[in-house]
Amino acid sequence: MTQHSLGEFEELVLLMVAAQHDEAYGVTILEGLEEKIKKKVNISAVHVALKRMEDKGFVKSRFGGITEDRGGRRKKFYVITALGKKMLDTQYDLRNSIYKQIPKISFG
Amino acid sequence: MSIENLSTVYFEAMSAPPKYPLRFLRWFCREDSLDEIEGDLTEVFLKQSATAPRKAKWNFGWSVIKYFRPEFIKQFKQQPNTYGMYKSYFKISLRQLIKNKTFSVINISVLTLGFSCFLLLSLYLHDELSFDMFHRDANTIYRITQQERQDNGTLRNISSVAPTIGKEVREQFPEVEDMVRLSAFGRVTLGNDPTNRTHERALSADANFFTFFDFPLVEGDAKTALKEPFTIVVSETIKEKYFGAGAALGKQIWSGLRRAGQPVYLTVSGVMKNFPKNSHLQMDILFSEATWHSLYNDYTQYVTTEWVDTEYTTYLKIKPQSNTALLSTRIEALVKNNYPADREFRSSFTLQPLRKIHTNSSQLESAAEQFNVNSIKPFYLYTFAALGFVLLLTACLNYMNLSTAMAIKRTREIGTRKTLGAPKNQMVVQFITDSVLFSLLSLLLSVGLAYLVLPWINVFTNKEISISSLPFEWLVMVVAVILSVGILAALYPAFIATRVSIVDALKREIKIGGSSLSVRKALLVMQFAISVMMIASTLIIYQQLNYLREKDLGFSHENLVVIDVNSRNLRRNFETVKSEFGKPAEVLRVAASTRVPGEWKSFPVATTKSNQNTMGSEMIFVGIDRDFLETYKIKLLAGRTIEDPVADSLKIVVTQLAVEQLGLTDPIGQVVEIPRVRYGERMEELDTPFRVEIIGVVENFYFESLHRKQLPVIFGALNTAIQVIDYYTLQINTSNWNNTLETLKAINHKIDPDTPLEYTFLDARFEEMYLADARRGQIFLVLSIIVVIIASLGLFALVSYSVESRLKEIGVRKVMGASVSSIVALISKEFLVLVIIAGAIGLPIAGYYMQSWLQEFAYHIPFGVLVFAEALLITLVIAFITIGVRTARAAVLNPVNSLRSE
Repeated sequence: MTQHSLGEFEELVLLMVAAQHDEAYGVTILEGLEEKIKKKVNISAVHVALKRMEDKGFVKSRFGGITEDRGGRRKKFYVITALGKKMLDTQYDLRNSIYKQIPKISFG
Repeated sequence: MSIENLSTVYFEAMSAPPKYPLRFLRWFCREDSLDEIEGDLTEVFLKQSATAPRKAKWNFGWSVIKYFRPEFIKQFKQQPNTYGMYKSYFKISLRQLIKNKTFSVINISVLTLGFSCFLLLSLYLHDELSFDMFHRDANTIYRITQQERQDNGTLRNISSVAPTIGKEVREQFPEVEDMVRLSAFGRVTLGNDPTNRTHERALSADANFFTFFDFPLVEGDAKTALKEPFTIVVSETIKEKYFGAGAALGKQIWSGLRRAGQPVYLTVSGVMKNFPKNSHLQMDILFSEATWHSLYNDYTQYVTTEWVDTEYTTYLKIKPQSNTALLSTRIEALVKNNYPADREFRSSFTLQPLRKIHTNSSQLESAAEQFNVNSIKPFYLYTFAALGFVLLLTACLNYMNLSTAMAIKRTREIGTRKTLGAPKNQMVVQFITDSVLFSLLSLLLSVGLAYLVLPWINVFTNKEISISSLPFEWLVMVVAVILSVGILAALYPAFIATRVSIVDALKREIKIGGSSLSVRKALLVMQFAISVMMIASTLIIYQQLNYLREKDLGFSHENLVVIDVNSRNLRRNFETVKSEFGKPAEVLRVAASTRVPGEWKSFPVATTKSNQNTMGSEMIFVGIDRDFLETYKIKLLAGRTIEDPVADSLKIVVTQLAVEQLGLTDPIGQVVEIPRVRYGERMEELDTPFRVEIIGVVENFYFESLHRKQLPVIFGALNTAIQVIDYYTLQINTSNWNNTLETLKAINHKIDPDTPLEYTFLDARFEEMYLADARRGQIFLVLSIIVVIIASLGLFALVSYSVESRLKEIGVRKVMGASVSSIVALISKEFLVLVIIAGAIGLPIAGYYMQSWLQEFAYHIPFGVLVFAEALLITLVIAFITIGVRTARAAVLNPVNSLRSE
């Protein structure tokens, strides 16, 4: 499983899914991301990332009920899996450990 | 609409996601991702469109395009699946085909019949339409035709013009790039072996003939072949005949032409490939024009000054985009300016495109038959095209009918498929696969069949058609039409089958077939309407052909042998020649005349005036001797016939029709005047009007084919200035024709050793006149038999289906005491009603069509109701036999078998 990699954008989406636990679907993730990174993101990019991570087993999904608002289409909610969480942890630890090696030099 | 309304509509339109990107998304997107993607997209869109509607739309569209990637496109993941389905469709179709052998054989043979007829008719039509198109400059070549107003107001349309016209047009009008003239001068005797000489039809052509047209030369040079005097170019056939295998270039041949009393030897300056059959020009021997300039002193002067004679068929090659209408009026002005002052000019000229010569020349008079070989009327082309489509249609209607019946039999399969979740289009594809399989198989078979039949058809139509002669575009078109019609035919049964509800299908309740049955009945009515139409047309054609053959022509043409006079020796001292030919015991009677009935040369037509008819009427003039009327068994009604060629040279015998047109009540002893005579193309004023006395009246008879209106006939003596003897007619005992022929040849050789005997049986000549009609009749017969077979098979299938679904009913009826015949009658009745409805539709169409066909003949059978009744009766009998065979089989079945299976 360790061969599965996590791209930068995927990592952001995965973090967002984890943060919005059980309330995350395409639009909320998009809006959360846009708010945090202060940049326009295309919804298709989010969907692609979600799809890939679902295939890798980092997230799992369920369908919500049918509503009138979205042209009668169901929402697809995502939650992070244990594997996904482990992946985030590994990433976090990795960065943290490298970060700690940075000498204490002032960058003014 | 109020402004508020408008704005809400506008708002709604703006607040809904754009239609086309959405449709596109739905089309390509995977089913399992669609909910999420479309939902999220719509949500984002709605939020955005509240502030920036236009931008939201653009965004939506752009996003949709971004989704167009492998992860979200359905096809990519489904590919192997679909392939498996196609394999399955094919397998099932094949199994169905093998399982229902009778059905498959009927279906495939019917489709094959329909397809091959369509294919063959396409080949035939292509051949007719591609006439003369093999010339490189086919599209810029025109023939000058002349329209000349006659005394009686009618127009004569002639395919040839005066010799000067071509030359002057070429020199004076810059848009004319090239010109070639052809003239027919009759026949010439050829042969180096004095005992084996024959008459050959010959033409002469300008020196540029072989560069103007693209008739390839096997030997000789196209540029110089027709330059020198006393040279000829011959076809391969003629070369073989006189020179055998090997080269003939430069060889000499004896000819019947005379120069200073000596026979002329001609030099072969070229051998041309035999002309393709799809050329309107058909010729075997071409003389160089220079020959005549050398042979006759005044020929050069004639060719350069003659503006009236119409003996030269003239072709022009015109610069592309020239105005041909303008050119023809300029030609008219040119001729008018040069016309002799003492002649009234009343002609106009038309440029006839080369590609139209074959199909648009039937109204044209031609200087020689070689200039309009087998010209066909567009009427027949349309007819054959229509027949092709009609046959294709009936075959496909039949296929639809049979497949629908089969589809209903397959309801259990359909029910099972539906239960297992097959979508509608899968069933449609299944049926289309069936149909494609059937169509392809039939197409292959029909190509094979066409190959087998083509040689026979080529002999029959005297053509050189081969499948490979069809250009690629035509082939693609024909195959496309065949296949698309085959596939279209599958849509209806597919539609019927998929409409069936699952429960009904599994219960094998075939009631749903009710509505489809009525459609199939309609299809059957159409098929039978076509059949009735074809039967009625064939009957009328055959009645007309019979009428032509049996019609009392007013004279006898049986056991008459006509000998053509081709030399001076045979013409001089005709009394001696007559008595020589009359010597053998088999020859019962001999007559000499200038023309004979069923004439193949043109008739001299004499304008005849009387005191009552001062305008004059055109009458055929024939010179006869004293034995003519008796030989032909033409009945003399009053007076006497011509007895002595000299003493009676100012006497004539006329037909009743002539008497009528001259307005005479007591014709015998009356004197009439003949001011001018027309010989084929030429009208000639006689120097002194010919005044003759009527001495006899004969019954009317038909001198020409019955396509033409009967003309009045005048018989004169042989010693008039109008015409010389051209024929001897021998009434013979045909019991030992070969011996008689040898005797006649010997006699001929004695009289004229240079010229071979040329003879024709007169009844064969009359048969030949209607040969084209008889052939078309046979084609019609064959096609109508095919149509009837197809329709009967369709009926058979429908009756089978009906009987099978009513087997139980029949069983119950039998148990209750119904007889076999009453059951047959019960089922036949409803189908026979259909046939009668078909008759009501088909017969008026046949009537309308046949009416216009019969107009081709000046004399035709009366147009009666009887023939339509006959056609309907024949159809009913065929239908009844078809129905009866199938119903009877069901009716004699033991009811135990049909009732047991509950």
